[in-house]
Amino acid sequence: MLQLVDALLSSTLDAAPALVFAALGAVLSERAGVVNVGVEGMMRAGAFVAAVAALVMPTPLGVVLGMLAGAALAALHAWLCIRFRADQVVSGMAINLVMLALGTFLLEARFSPNGTPSIEQLTRWGSGVPVLGGHTALTWLALAAPFALHAVIQRTRFGLRLRAAGEKPQAVAAMGVSVSRLRFVAVTCGGLLAGLGGASLSVATLDRFEHNMPAGLGFMAVAAMVFGRWTPLGAAAAAAFFAFGNALRIGLTSSAPQVLEVIPQGVLLALPYLLTLLLLAGQKRGAGKAPAALGTPYDPELR
Amino acid sequence: MRRALPSILSVAVAVGVSFIAAALTLGSVSQTASAFGAMVEGALGDWPRFFETGNATAVLRPIGEAATKAGLLTLTGLSVAVAFRVGLFNIGAQGQMVVGALAAAFIGARLSLPAALHLPLALLAAAAIGSGWALIATALKLWRGVHEVISTIMLNWVAVSLVENWLVVGPLRATASGTNSVSGTAQILPTAELPRVMAESSRLNLGFFLAVALALAVSLWMQRTRAGYESRAVGLAPRAAEAAGISVSRRLFEAMAVSGALAGLAGGVLILGTELKYPATLASPYGFDGIAIALIGQSHPLGALASALFFGALRAGGTHMQLYGVHKSFPELIQGLALLLVAAKLFWERLLKQRIATRTRSPV
Amino acid sequence: MNVLYGLYHPDGGELAFDGQAQKVRSPQDAIARGVGMVHQHFTLVPNLTVAENVVLGAEPTRGGLFDLEAAVRVVDETCKKLGFSLDARARVDRLSVGSQQKVEIVKALRRGAKTLILDEPTAVLTPQETDDLFRITRELSEQGSTVVLITHKLKDVLAFATRIAVMRRGRKVAEVRPADTTGAQLAELMVGGAMHDPAAPPSPLGATEPFLTLEGVSAEGLHDLSLEVRAGEILGVAGVDGNGQRELAEVVTGLRPLSRGRLKLGATHWSQLTPAQARACGVAHIPEDRLHRAMVADMTVEENVALGRQHQAPFARGLFIDFAGRRARTAQLLEAHDVRPRDPVARMGSLSGGNQQKLVVARELDTAPRLLVVVQPTRGLDIAAVNAVRQKLLERARAGCAVLLVSLDLEEVLALADRVVVMFEGRLNGTFTRGACDERELGRRMLGAAA
Repeated sequence: MLQLVDALLSSTLDAAPALVFAALGAVLSERAGVVNVGVEGMMRAGAFVAAVAALVMPTPLGVVLGMLAGAALAALHAWLCIRFRADQVVSGMAINLVMLALGTFLLEARFSPNGTPSIEQLTRWGSGVPVLGGHTALTWLALAAPFALHAVIQRTRFGLRLRAAGEKPQAVAAMGVSVSRLRFVAVTCGGLLAGLGGASLSVATLDRFEHNMPAGLGFMAVAAMVFGRWTPLGAAAAAAFFAFGNALRIGLTSSAPQVLEVIPQGVLLALPYLLTLLLLAGQKRGAGKAPAALGTPYDPELR
Repeated sequence: MRRALPSILSVAVAVGVSFIAAALTLGSVSQTASAFGAMVEGALGDWPRFFETGNATAVLRPIGEAATKAGLLTLTGLSVAVAFRVGLFNIGAQGQMVVGALAAAFIGARLSLPAALHLPLALLAAAAIGSGWALIATALKLWRGVHEVISTIMLNWVAVSLVENWLVVGPLRATASGTNSVSGTAQILPTAELPRVMAESSRLNLGFFLAVALALAVSLWMQRTRAGYESRAVGLAPRAAEAAGISVSRRLFEAMAVSGALAGLAGGVLILGTELKYPATLASPYGFDGIAIALIGQSHPLGALASALFFGALRAGGTHMQLYGVHKSFPELIQGLALLLVAAKLFWERLLKQRIATRTRSPV
Repeated sequence: MNVLYGLYHPDGGELAFDGQAQKVRSPQDAIARGVGMVHQHFTLVPNLTVAENVVLGAEPTRGGLFDLEAAVRVVDETCKKLGFSLDARARVDRLSVGSQQKVEIVKALRRGAKTLILDEPTAVLTPQETDDLFRITRELSEQGSTVVLITHKLKDVLAFATRIAVMRRGRKVAEVRPADTTGAQLAELMVGGAMHDPAAPPSPLGATEPFLTLEGVSAEGLHDLSLEVRAGEILGVAGVDGNGQRELAEVVTGLRPLSRGRLKLGATHWSQLTPAQARACGVAHIPEDRLHRAMVADMTVEENVALGRQHQAPFARGLFIDFAGRRARTAQLLEAHDVRPRDPVARMGSLSGGNQQKLVVARELDTAPRLLVVVQPTRGLDIAAVNAVRQKLLERARAGCAVLLVSLDLEEVLALADRVVVMFEGRLNGTFTRGACDERELGRRMLGAAA
């Protein structure tokens, strides 16, 4: 029994970083007032670039390049939304569609249709220690990052301005701070995190880029953000919870297949999404409010 | 026409950019050119061969394939466009299509009825269940304040998981006949098949014409009827519409029901016209494509039809690019890039304003 | 003023501070030159505290982190210097309008403002709060600051200013001293000719039946409200912003559900009313939030004219839109109400604010209403448009229409209404008839004083 719990928690910790980083990235972007449903695409970019780069260079460097790829897409998103007032949901979905097709095309043209060749995974440390041992640095980072982001948003000058820009950008502009620059920085840093989430899939959880990565995890990260009421700690907790649910399902499939006779695999797969829906539906109206200015481009001549 | 200009330019730029991207990746301009040539040939037919040999199949088959895909894209594009018109972002067309497809496969295989009843019933079931799936998101939005983008994303994954990882591999799986192992649901009965219109030269079926007719009907509804006017007002300024005595929630429900029905119908047409059963995995993201189709079509029903025709043709041609090392999803890259460009609203507004300014200044 | 503050850029000319020509490209430049601005609509972040709002943009830090204690000290010191108090740790959205304005002033001073621009500062204040504000500004000018007051309230400038510049259509047309002029002269300068004050002629009070009656109505923001509006009468609703006036207008137009009580329109009683039912009973609505409540900016002018009557002739025929009928009626209204441009297919959002409002008024009056619910009808309009709108309201009332007028501008209420009711915290707190209104007493009631 204890062994089972240990295995379960361990595999949760292995899978969680991708969701946690991506959810934090979404929080950063949306607290500044820019909707980000393009997390899926940014993760895909991060996963692909990290895996391909790791073929020719040390894996940690590949991770950095993966993050930069996510950030580049996020910068494109920010540029479209801020400079050209694109609909933020449209721009995000467009990024998803482009990355879905571009990833497939590059994979086909350069490697095999199913995935890249294997690369050297990030080093795992402390393999003797129960539960907490045997993970890559990304797992540790994912445990610390939510608190770090929380501190940034609540306790720093940048965080204060960020919150203000998401609630009432006019107030920020009137005090001589550029809303556009603030939002651009926030969205791009969000992309950095989403890219890191993607990279952790292809170089830590697995050892290569697979053709369907991240297979909906980006959307789940957005759900975790909503679920966590747009706060870093809440979003990270929700992300960890979803990762645990996934680990539980996979664990059941291998160790207790008789359970699947009673509860089909498909139902278990749908469960995290159903749960999110139910919890959202159960929330009181207006509870867990999104930032007031979320989704509206800042127009200096309107107030 | 002026409203279409951003879309047309965006698509043109997207084609150019993707050509350059492909040339860089493949490392050869001529190979890329051949791949694009194959795409055009696959989309519009091999006319030289037709004129040389008189073989009609050389043009009918590609065109039929293009129209088949365009029909499906039209339905999902319309689905997204209708919801967009009342201000709702239906990202859930994919899920609605999946449940619609399953309903059509079920009715098509399990009931035995005369063709005059069977086909309409199967299509109706697909539309109805797609509509019902969309209404979950609408109800959550109106009664619980859950944003439809989030709920439809969730519902997509719920639909795919339940249908493809449970129903199709479990309760609804076809029973194996003889030694052949089968995947997916049972084959639908001939009475439920959408009739083909070009005999054996192509898979083109009535589904395409149904889609075109629906595009015209939706256009009539949105542009010329009272109800359509009210729906547009709800989409553009919900609070003003409410003050004008328009029942906002009724219009939202109505539009979302139609939106879900159109996506469900796309699933139905896909099963009853092309797949003839629900396969192990549907693997056709027409629902997601609908977002791009609708927006490149400027959320206008006829615009969606036009962009569906264009991208349907590219899709059909895409399969012919494989020979040159280009994945068949390449047209989807063009489509995604075009959407990205169309999204830059302000850019187009400025560009067009400038054009008008120069036009009025020049002495004619 | 937005040019001075760097939000808009001048097309020509120059700005000088302390006799030196300087360029102001952004609010940051303006702040650096010692210009602070308090907008009519506050630019405060509702979910941040007073202290956080005050220091936003130039935050004190300690060891790289934001220093909240230092921010609190800044607020307390400034408040003390000017002789008022604010709770620096309170969330801004929990404060009264008057206090929020003080936060804005503290914010500007914190940034070293030598010139303080106040844009329509008294529009939303009670007379008592206005006195308080002018006491603070006087204190400021005595301490050596410059205060620029932008207002359309003549009484305010006469009472407050040392010098008055009169602007018309973007030009300065005169500069006077308060002692050398009168309100009438100023008004003339503003409109560029003799002004016709739309003085209300005596109305046939009491002679008519009530058209609207509220009997013990409660709703979100309203408590046990009973009142009536008679045909041919203008009932003014006065109150400090946020005391239930808007809720009252929404209840009567069917936009807000009743939780208790009922209302009577004509001969029919309603305990639940939808906007469509209200319209069918002859209620027309000129809402405060024109951009979002009264028009669809992205539709054409003629489509906006149909709004509210889209299901009836001449705008519809059966299930379909009557394009010809709609065009004809639109052309007629544009002409009759002098809306420019006279283009039925122009985009509504491309019209000027004044013309949009004229069209909304034209449309609502065209429904031949029996009750007209009007909220802040002249806010943000130039003085000519203000007079045109007020004139139309008076005409309608004298023709037998009941009018419910909600305005935060006490002057407007007093100028137009036959009777005035005061609202405080969602309840009625006094009724006054025309001629028996004492402005001070009204102000007291608006702040909640009992009779």
